[in-house]
Amino acid sequence: MGQKELLKEKHINYVGSLDSKKADLEYWLSEHLRLNGVYWGLTALHLLDSIDTFNKEEVIEFVLSCWDENTGGFAAYPRHDGHLLTTLSGLQILATFDALDRLGSEKEDRLVNFVLCNQKPDGSFQGDSFGEVDTRFVYTALSCLSILNKLTKEVVDPAVEYIARCYNFDGGFGLNPEAESHAAQAFTCIGALAIVGKLDTLTNDQKENIAVWLSERQLPEGGLNGRPSKLPDVCYSWWVLSTLAILGKADWIDFSKLTDFILNCQDPKNGGISDRPDNEVDVFHTVFGIGGLSIMGYPGLKEIDPVYCMPYTVTKKFQRSYAD
Amino acid sequence: MHGIKRKEWTKELLRKKREEERQKILDYQQLTNDVLNSKRERITDKNAFLKTTKLLDINPEFNAVWNYRREIIKTLSLQLDENFWDSELNFTMEKLKVRPKVYWIWNHRLWCLQSYPNSPLKIWLKELAIVSKLLEMDSRNFHGWHYRRFIVKTVESLSGRSLNSDEFEYTTKKINQNISNFSAWFQRTTIIESMLSKDQISDMDSFINNEFEYIKNAIFTDAEDQSVWTYLIWFIKESAMKNIMEPELYSNMVKALIENIVLINDDELSFSGKDNGWCLKTLIVLESIQKEYLKEDIQSKSQEYLDKLITIDPLRKNRYLHQLKNL
Repeated sequence: MGQKELLKEKHINYVGSLDSKKADLEYWLSEHLRLNGVYWGLTALHLLDSIDTFNKEEVIEFVLSCWDENTGGFAAYPRHDGHLLTTLSGLQILATFDALDRLGSEKEDRLVNFVLCNQKPDGSFQGDSFGEVDTRFVYTALSCLSILNKLTKEVVDPAVEYIARCYNFDGGFGLNPEAESHAAQAFTCIGALAIVGKLDTLTNDQKENIAVWLSERQLPEGGLNGRPSKLPDVCYSWWVLSTLAILGKADWIDFSKLTDFILNCQDPKNGGISDRPDNEVDVFHTVFGIGGLSIMGYPGLKEIDPVYCMPYTVTKKFQRSYAD
Repeated sequence: MHGIKRKEWTKELLRKKREEERQKILDYQQLTNDVLNSKRERITDKNAFLKTTKLLDINPEFNAVWNYRREIIKTLSLQLDENFWDSELNFTMEKLKVRPKVYWIWNHRLWCLQSYPNSPLKIWLKELAIVSKLLEMDSRNFHGWHYRRFIVKTVESLSGRSLNSDEFEYTTKKINQNISNFSAWFQRTTIIESMLSKDQISDMDSFINNEFEYIKNAIFTDAEDQSVWTYLIWFIKESAMKNIMEPELYSNMVKALIENIVLINDDELSFSGKDNGWCLKTLIVLESIQKEYLKEDIQSKSQEYLDKLITIDPLRKNRYLHQLKNL
């Protein structure tokens, strides 16, 4: 412990090889996550300063091929259905390549409309027309609008009210009002408030209470969990730590122990990071492990913006406020 | 991927795996292609429906196929009787048993219940029993508890009867089975708030007292578990019960909690030589209630507690330093 290093080259090779695993059944069974997967991989590479590992033009073409003409959003893969989660991934990828203009104004208008159409009267968002409501979608919706510079008071105010209703006494947030606190929801709620410049709608007591709850997520082995009495998992290195960072309290957990935990989840042979030591790696845990390390200032990584889960070099162009 | 052990793939193993999977991949690609093509052509017949079954059997996480399946069912709905809907519910249950954490499957199941002919009360009551079973398999399943709240709300609106007291008993049962089940403790907080707002508690004094005893019993049972401490803090600091109690009674209750917690901590100190972190953290909260809310003149030990916490719980050292500054 303590002497392990981030295996940068191995991780770059691992992410770079993801699209060459077509002889494995898992590759085909995960098609419904492909566009998200490309965003996770690209962001991991970006943090590792190796974005050229992906062929820019091929990736942009792939994103555009995921456009769903029926909904006006991006799907996970051609011929699948548009959804807010994948629409955000598509925009994130285009923004990373500074290629948002490739969308074209007609599609951009349709996409904004798709996001707006999924807002409910109480300010919440559904992921698509099938009606699942979750604070994850408030985040994805506001992040999409921010990337496209389309945030307005009409959308933001009710969304902020809805987020306030999802706050729980213990300092966490649920996926709906009256739902148990979960660390991923802390990120989506605080991240959404940060995107629209509304963190000040929380009282100082609330902010402190949130940071206390998040700091309790660190377990003696160094890793973070998502709820009380659950196992640690590398992805919470992102959900918990990014939220603490947004609140200016990242140091309320122990960096050195969390760093050890993440580094112990690397596959030393083939690269990639898993949820817990000695488990199977995947690109989701790889990006969130590296993202967590970036927040903790791990040497040689690009600095990540905790609000957007993208490097600052990309997010500095995004809209953070809007005219009242 | 969550919780799957990493496997060492030797060249030979990998070759074997790929050989075994080659045909499976071809079949899967063909079926996927077939289903997505008929989806694009908006074919909504029985045959297309059967193909979605086949595909979801292989990959229950394929959300676009669940979406397509619903489109087909909607088109065929006039020809479908209760038997169909029962079998569709069975189909989603099979899938949930294999993938209990996949949002799309829970959503589809909910849609089935809402689309069931006349969506009668009896199927929702049956569903409540089913979700109890699911929560026996995994008593912390986040989706399961979320789903349960939805089912309860629907049963309440269809029957015109509040289920609060049943659900309150349910959380007691779940907590008694496993005191660390924070999902159940959390649910208890929302049910009590709802009972209070609907004026459903006839003997408030004894209700509050029972809850107080229940908490006391729990902290003596397992002083290491944060669920109980979190619930205790809710009860004494955040819940609407605080505003109902006579100030004197409330003040005595805070004192009694402090005495008991000090006792637990002393026991642990003499037994293991270490303070109990949760005891100290809770004592700090209780002292702040005495000082700031009850305006009582007390000999605060919060500084001492925070100093101890820095030593016994160094992971959160910076938080305690921050709290020390703000005392």
